Amino acid sequence: MSCFEGQLAGWIAPALPNAVTSETIAALVAEYSTALYRVAFSVTRNAAEAEDAVQETFLRVLKHESRLSEIRDYRVWLVRIVWNIVLDKKRRAKTRPESEDLADHARVLPSGDRLADDAIISSQEHGRILRLIDRLPRREREALLLSAVQELTTAEIAAALGTTESSIRSRIFRARRGLSVLLEKEGIAR
Amino acid sequence: MNGEFDRETSAPVDAALRAVGSATPEPGFEGRILTRLAQARAEGYAAPRAGSRLMRVAAPGLGFVCASLLCAVIVTGSVRFSHRNHPGSVAPPTIQMQGTGVGAASAVHPAAPASTPMPAGTKGRSARRTVQGRARIAPQARKAPGVAVPAPTANVPQN
Repeated sequence: MSCFEGQLAGWIAPALPNAVTSETIAALVAEYSTALYRVAFSVTRNAAEAEDAVQETFLRVLKHESRLSEIRDYRVWLVRIVWNIVLDKKRRAKTRPESEDLADHARVLPSGDRLADDAIISSQEHGRILRLIDRLPRREREALLLSAVQELTTAEIAAALGTTESSIRSRIFRARRGLSVLLEKEGIAR
Repeated sequence: MNGEFDRETSAPVDAALRAVGSATPEPGFEGRILTRLAQARAEGYAAPRAGSRLMRVAAPGLGFVCASLLCAVIVTGSVRFSHRNHPGSVAPPTIQMQGTGVGAASAVHPAAPASTPMPAGTKGRSARRTVQGRARIAPQARKAPGVAVPAPTANVPQN
């Protein structure tokens, strides 16, 4: 095969029909929608906006369904999409989340999962801490928020943010250290 | 601050992060997503049609052809413009070296350059006023001690 034929095959391949069907997307929804919701909620902190972001994510998946067979890691790919969507929305809003939905969030939390710390610290205190997280540098804040999502490993966070695992660990460490300083200044923990 | 986070500060942070990271959507979340996807598919939001696929495949080739055509037009136009501005131009004279030893630069000139003869009775600007090949020394010239000074000759012209 000549060089030109190879290039032609490369151009034509994405346009070839594939076997991916709507059942595949339904399976993706069933498997990843909750994790994506948590990723979105970590930024928006609003249930409705997080749900909108996840729906927008799957609409994009639908738009590019011909490329689904090329995706190696669906979880990282989907996290990256929803992450970009929520950050884009946040940039457009130009403000911090105005309607933090922590009360609603507390309502939907399963009560059996609440630990002693959660019981002591009220949702208002959560809100104040999350606002302090918003004051952290962008990279550290993003790593810290994604590390909070239960389903994501450090490797997956690194892949979603396009960096290395060691960089993610370092960012999380710096974020926690900075947050500790902010907390001491604010006197929240005292 | 030594980098270690005490429990008093890390506990509320962990709790807040845990609360965010374990958020659970409203019941029926997946169903709402699937409904919206089905609606979008019905509205034609799905994968691009064959026409747009073809455009995506053909776009690089089309761009290449357009760029080539543009280059050809530019080159042709500039060559034509150049010919139009110099319609009667001929090639420079051919230099024929016939073993005469004349260099290429001299061969194209009708005559070799020659110096202008000096009018009679005049002196060139570069001629020095010397007597017997010796430089004239001004009488008031003083030399440092120890420097030999030739004695002035008798027939030094006074001016």
